[in-house]
Amino acid sequence: MTGEKTVLVALAGQPNCGKSTVFNLLTGARQHVANYPGVTVEKKTGSFAIDDIRVELVDLPGTYSLTSYSLEERVARDFLINDMPSVVIDVADGSNLKRNLYLTLQLMEMEAPVILNLNMMDVVERRGQRIDVDRLRDMLGIPVVPTKAKKGEGKAALRVAVKELAGKRPGPAAYKIDYGPLEPHIDVLAGAIAEDPLVSVQYPVRWIAVKLLENDDRAADMVKGAHTDADQALALAESCRLRFTEETGNAPERHIAFARHAACARIAAETVTLPAAKKRSLSDLADRYVCHRFFGPLILLVILMALYQVAIVFGNWLALQAWPIWGAVEDFSADVLPAAGFTSDPLLRALGLWVVKSTTAILNYLPIFFLLFSLIAILEDSGYMPRMAFILDRLFRRFGLHGQSTLPMILGGVYVGGCAIPGVMATKAIPDERARLATIMIVPMMNCLAKVPLYLILIGAYFADVGGLAMFFIATVTLFMALPVAKVLTLTVLKRHPSAPFIMEMPPYHLPTIMGILRRAFERIWLFLKKIVTVVAAVAVVVFVLINYPGLPDDRRVHYDGMENAAIKGFMADVARTEFVGRITRADVLPIILFEESLKRAKRGVTDQEESSAINARFQADNPVYYAVVKREGKDGKKLNKSLKKVVRTRKKARREARAERFEASFLGSMGRALEPVTQWAGFNWRINIALLSAFAAKENSAATLGSIYGLDGDQSVQESMKAGESGFTPLHALALMLFMALYPPCVPTSIMVRHQADSTGWMLFSIAYQTLLGLLVASLVFTGGRLLGLTGLQAMWAFYGLCVATTLIMALIPNPEEREAAASVSPEPCNEHCS
Amino acid sequence: MKKTMTALTLAAVLAFSGHAFAHSPLMSCFDNGDNTVTCEGGFSDGSSASGVKIHVLDASGKSLVETKMNEDSEVTFDKPAGDYKVVFDGGEGHSVEINGADIVE
Repeated sequence: MTGEKTVLVALAGQPNCGKSTVFNLLTGARQHVANYPGVTVEKKTGSFAIDDIRVELVDLPGTYSLTSYSLEERVARDFLINDMPSVVIDVADGSNLKRNLYLTLQLMEMEAPVILNLNMMDVVERRGQRIDVDRLRDMLGIPVVPTKAKKGEGKAALRVAVKELAGKRPGPAAYKIDYGPLEPHIDVLAGAIAEDPLVSVQYPVRWIAVKLLENDDRAADMVKGAHTDADQALALAESCRLRFTEETGNAPERHIAFARHAACARIAAETVTLPAAKKRSLSDLADRYVCHRFFGPLILLVILMALYQVAIVFGNWLALQAWPIWGAVEDFSADVLPAAGFTSDPLLRALGLWVVKSTTAILNYLPIFFLLFSLIAILEDSGYMPRMAFILDRLFRRFGLHGQSTLPMILGGVYVGGCAIPGVMATKAIPDERARLATIMIVPMMNCLAKVPLYLILIGAYFADVGGLAMFFIATVTLFMALPVAKVLTLTVLKRHPSAPFIMEMPPYHLPTIMGILRRAFERIWLFLKKIVTVVAAVAVVVFVLINYPGLPDDRRVHYDGMENAAIKGFMADVARTEFVGRITRADVLPIILFEESLKRAKRGVTDQEESSAINARFQADNPVYYAVVKREGKDGKKLNKSLKKVVRTRKKARREARAERFEASFLGSMGRALEPVTQWAGFNWRINIALLSAFAAKENSAATLGSIYGLDGDQSVQESMKAGESGFTPLHALALMLFMALYPPCVPTSIMVRHQADSTGWMLFSIAYQTLLGLLVASLVFTGGRLLGLTGLQAMWAFYGLCVATTLIMALIPNPEEREAAASVSPEPCNEHCS
Repeated sequence: MKKTMTALTLAAVLAFSGHAFAHSPLMSCFDNGDNTVTCEGGFSDGSSASGVKIHVLDASGKSLVETKMNEDSEVTFDKPAGDYKVVFDGGEGHSVEINGADIVE
């Protein structure tokens, strides 16, 4: 028995308490990042040794509380219950003790072996506060260790405390929150639960009782899972809740939250001495303006504008600068994959290039994502995020959303130009499960960048004279469609999901560190790459099959072979009249064309004549005959080059036409035709259906597909040929199409992100289905309705706009499900302390 | 609430003036060696650049050639005698310029 002992230690704490710094202090920044099983919450672990004890340190998500409202809180709580760490280090911002105690008391209530780590003592000293550590230790009955993690102070004391506590057997907590009039009910319920051998062994009895009275879903599930007579226990809890509400006119969950706050305030009052002259701290001073009725929204607007400018506008520029990297990847795969054919390519090449192209198309956005993630990290670390949520919460709550729905919606493109993928990703921070799901459902309705090209084509073709107005319409109408939809979802399918009261305390402002920001941004980029890129590659394969099979019928294949033969025959006739006769055979024609393409790829981006000449020389050495034809060497070379150009043109034409035919005959094409009877009410014919179906793979496709199926002529733009090709296609059609596109289901990568964030395939399918139906409904309403009323496209546009705005206003007035029972319970009280 | 709504709408209008798209415009040009230049266009997501306007300008910015990318996203024009540049005009935030001096044989 010599082996060292391993101890599991959890690190808990509220956001912005310096938890990561403490983590790094203890582990020396050696960490392993993974996800908690089945959810997208990051799990950071590290290990270190104290004498002969090996400590596994797990960083729990930063949470203000331990209810089961948010994913982070649930994850933290489940870990404490299921993994039963030997020690829980509760990192608290010493300069905000009262607020941080809120978590400490809940940890103690769970009978977790807690060490209270008073961090940021340097800030406490700087502010002239004093904390009576001994008094705090006596009151709480747990070890209390002050540290200044940022300066590396307190590591030894913390290690000693961990070692001591790890050796002890946990006993019942010394400090109990006094719930006043609720106590008799807790006793009754706890008594009933204690009688059950299963539950009382697995969970702390008093804690379960309090949680049941708090109407906590997860606690109810725990009882159901373990209690021999769960229904009776739950019925008892329900009757206790009812009786308490009758007695006091107060909902138990509110009473519990207030009792906890009161306990925190009492403890803080006895242990913290504030500086004599009670000055408002700098944070509070800043909040006077940041949360101000008038300046608040103004500052918010400026910050959001800056966010947009940096991430989207500058990000686009950066993406363009970075393109040569992805271009090189494409060129490289084009060189190494099996050689191309005349009309069609070998399967391996076609599929390989398709997958690479689909992936690089996403990687192209990487600079934008990196900037976004860095900016979000700055917003989070600085403490502005909760302020933003506070400012917009009153507005968003009317629609069943949450203050923190703002960022996801901005990223998704509240103003034209976002991307739903990071938008859906950002919903993770929303602590209210119902609002989080509602946000996930509406983020894809925002105007992502990829929808813009289609808008531009349609506006250019049908609303050219009022282009600015039409663009304004589509840019803003989406918000007026999304808000009512969020409300309807909240009132219907999401009704049963738990909603959290907006109790969000304002952490003090912090100056974010560059290292912290970069680390967070890189971690998220990496997670994003792992999740999205692999899935995109897999989905690309499926889409490839859908748009390429069953393939061309035999007679068409014969037709294209004929085109090929005729072109090659013409070329060979020219060869016979030159000195190359005998040196170039039929079999050489395709290799010459590929030789030329490969030379072009090699020289792409080369701007220096010498470098270019070196590449030329290399290709010449490789095959002097091909080179002579491609680079027009000598009289015969010039002659043959002209002839080659004709063959190249024929090849491109054949490839283009064959691709369009293959596409129309494909599974996806057949679906487009099959849907025509339904979509005709929205004014879509089968060709538009095909374009829309391919847009599901990636929104960008819509414009490209519309282009390819409208068979563009050299002199015509997409707009012109669309106008010409679709006689009878009116502005009303275009309007219906634009609206459908706005509501159209999220593209495949976004859908996958929805699945990840909602943690359910069901929600992903729901999101795809409801948006498609809604899109079809709206498009049909506008098209068929507009036609029946004899409206022009422009009239229909503004009639619809008015309808949407009116619906939004009406929806704002309908109360949310829980508003009736707790009209006054949405208590911004903790915020009031800071925001006047 | 109304105030915030107005603010949001205002934001949409303001941001609108500088909208940009997620796919990057791409163009590469080659000197064919026979006094013509060929440019190939496209977008980073693989979209075709068919129909995109191409301007060839001389040193003073005077337009020499006005044309469009053909159905294969290509354009070929006679190489101007002096300094020149080629502009791929895909709309705001969607343009590429290539200097004639950088187009080599």
